[in-house]
Amino acid sequence: MKILIIEDELGLQRSIAQYLMSEGNLCSIASTYAKALERLGTYEYDCILLDLNLPDGEGLQLLSYLKKMNRKEGVIIISARNSIDDKIEGLSLGADDYLIKPFHLSELNARIVAVVRRKSANGERHIEFNEIRIDLDAKEVLINSKVVYMTKKEFDLLLYFISNKGKVITKSAAVEHIWGDDADMADSFDFIYTHIKNIKKKLTDAGSKDYFQSVYGIGYKFSAL
Amino acid sequence: MKMFTRYNQILIFISVFGLLLIGFLFYRMLVYYLDRQIDHDLVEEIMEVKEYSVKGNFYEPHEFEDLVVQYHKIAKIQASTTYADTLFYNPIKHRKETARYLKTELLLNGHPYKVLVIASKFEREEQIKNICLIILIPVMLLFALVLLVNRILLRKIWSPFQQLLNNITTFNINRDHPYEPVDMPFEEFKQLDQVLQELSAKVKSDYTEIKLFTENASHEMMTPLAVINSKLDNMLQSNTLGKEDGETLIELYKATSRLTKLNQSLLLLVKIDNNLLQDQEQVNLKLMVEDKIIYFQELISERKITVDLTLMDVTLSASRQLLEILINNLFSNVIRHNYEGGKIEIKLEEGKITFANTGHTAALNPERIFERFYKDNASEGTGLGLAILKQICNRQNYLLEYAYHRDLHIFTVTF
Repeated sequence: MKILIIEDELGLQRSIAQYLMSEGNLCSIASTYAKALERLGTYEYDCILLDLNLPDGEGLQLLSYLKKMNRKEGVIIISARNSIDDKIEGLSLGADDYLIKPFHLSELNARIVAVVRRKSANGERHIEFNEIRIDLDAKEVLINSKVVYMTKKEFDLLLYFISNKGKVITKSAAVEHIWGDDADMADSFDFIYTHIKNIKKKLTDAGSKDYFQSVYGIGYKFSAL
Repeated sequence: MKMFTRYNQILIFISVFGLLLIGFLFYRMLVYYLDRQIDHDLVEEIMEVKEYSVKGNFYEPHEFEDLVVQYHKIAKIQASTTYADTLFYNPIKHRKETARYLKTELLLNGHPYKVLVIASKFEREEQIKNICLIILIPVMLLFALVLLVNRILLRKIWSPFQQLLNNITTFNINRDHPYEPVDMPFEEFKQLDQVLQELSAKVKSDYTEIKLFTENASHEMMTPLAVINSKLDNMLQSNTLGKEDGETLIELYKATSRLTKLNQSLLLLVKIDNNLLQDQEQVNLKLMVEDKIIYFQELISERKITVDLTLMDVTLSASRQLLEILINNLFSNVIRHNYEGGKIEIKLEEGKITFANTGHTAALNPERIFERFYKDNASEGTGLGLAILKQICNRQNYLLEYAYHRDLHIFTVTF
């Protein structure tokens, strides 16, 4: 995938690019509004990550520009502004998702995967990982074309891990993915283990291999190795 | 005590006391003056007695003069003359009356006599009474009138002050309702009003500035936090990480997430303060609580907490966002401060919702738990959760109460 990162905070910009490129994506970066326009004039992308506060312009303007130019890229706003109004404005101007800083890169990646799949024109509304196939429209998990029943939280968790395949995901990131800001209610995130054990069992029962790997008490990795 | 009442008390006290004193003095003066007059008359009577005695007669007053002259023979004259008050029997009116007499000793027709001239004071006393009444009644009336006028006038003069007081009382720094100036008739009050106007404007702008500062500071911290978080995410992917490094990373994550949560809470407080969440709609609280139970069930069952639900169908007209934060925070509170295998009781009835939980600590200080950053040392929270609850309740005019009963911490929100 080709992704344009429009973010003026260089540290964050580099981290995002590093993470996404290790997933096999191509990343372009733009630190200013002008630079972003220049990039957009030359290339097409699968997804654009857009910070709203740019030194030389308002990120929302760029949304209007994309809409006017009838561009097909998926746009994810990444902003420190956490208000319903900002979200509504961004989404109504054509953004596909709105992620509030700070966020986990795995969360960002999962959102990118979801947005790109949702936007893809040639019906690729599914994600595959070896024998596991996730149908994004029907919200179903299929193993060798057999449906595996999962709860909504289990489905979300599996999708999250598969979107970030090969990456270590901390327990807290996994809990936050499901419970968002309320995740801190738990005094430990160990209970995510029960969830992953359940998912694992459902997958292996249906004939899939076990791809979940525990990473020394930190978290889990979904990987073929 | 009201200034008004105090003022009247003093005024009435001094006036009554003064009136009594002056009345008494006045009365004494009159009595003294009249006594002198009577004494003068008595002397004249004695002159008359002397004149008669020259002719060899005993003087007897006319009947209508309320005057009695008595002659007593005595052995010898001791030249003494006394004036004094006495009682005497009025032979005409057949009653005892107060009187004044003059006692002197005279040589009449060659014999020494004690001559007693007694004059009734009755008429004169009546006169004094009348004079006093004639003077006192108008004075009393005048006094009453002064009091009345005083009352009305004071009330009228102070009514703008009352208005001013009301305006200060209703002035709320959190509301958009500004301090309303009062039209003041007097210079002093005008000044007071002016000062209050300036003061309230200053307080308001300072408060807004502090809120703005909090908001900006919290906002500005989000980006560096995002940088830290993303760097940690990348470090985590390194294949060379040892177990210790992993633990360090987890600690860093924890600290970052706590800082993030703190910032979010501060921003939320400012947002509630600024009345930014004011959407109004019909919210079914029962459904909301049930949804949250499902949403949080893993967090609850993970700690083997039992939940006791009594939910009535209650619908409120309120901001959905605020209610969600409210319910979330109540849940967060009862889950977080619970112990493994503890208990949660949620009771929703018409007009109020109660969240009760078992917990490690004994009763908390109900005066302080809703203060910002008040928390027990064991708590890993931000110390803002209950403050946010309180703030929301203030906004929505709900009553938030804490009680400790039968080992349960009970939080009640009355709508």
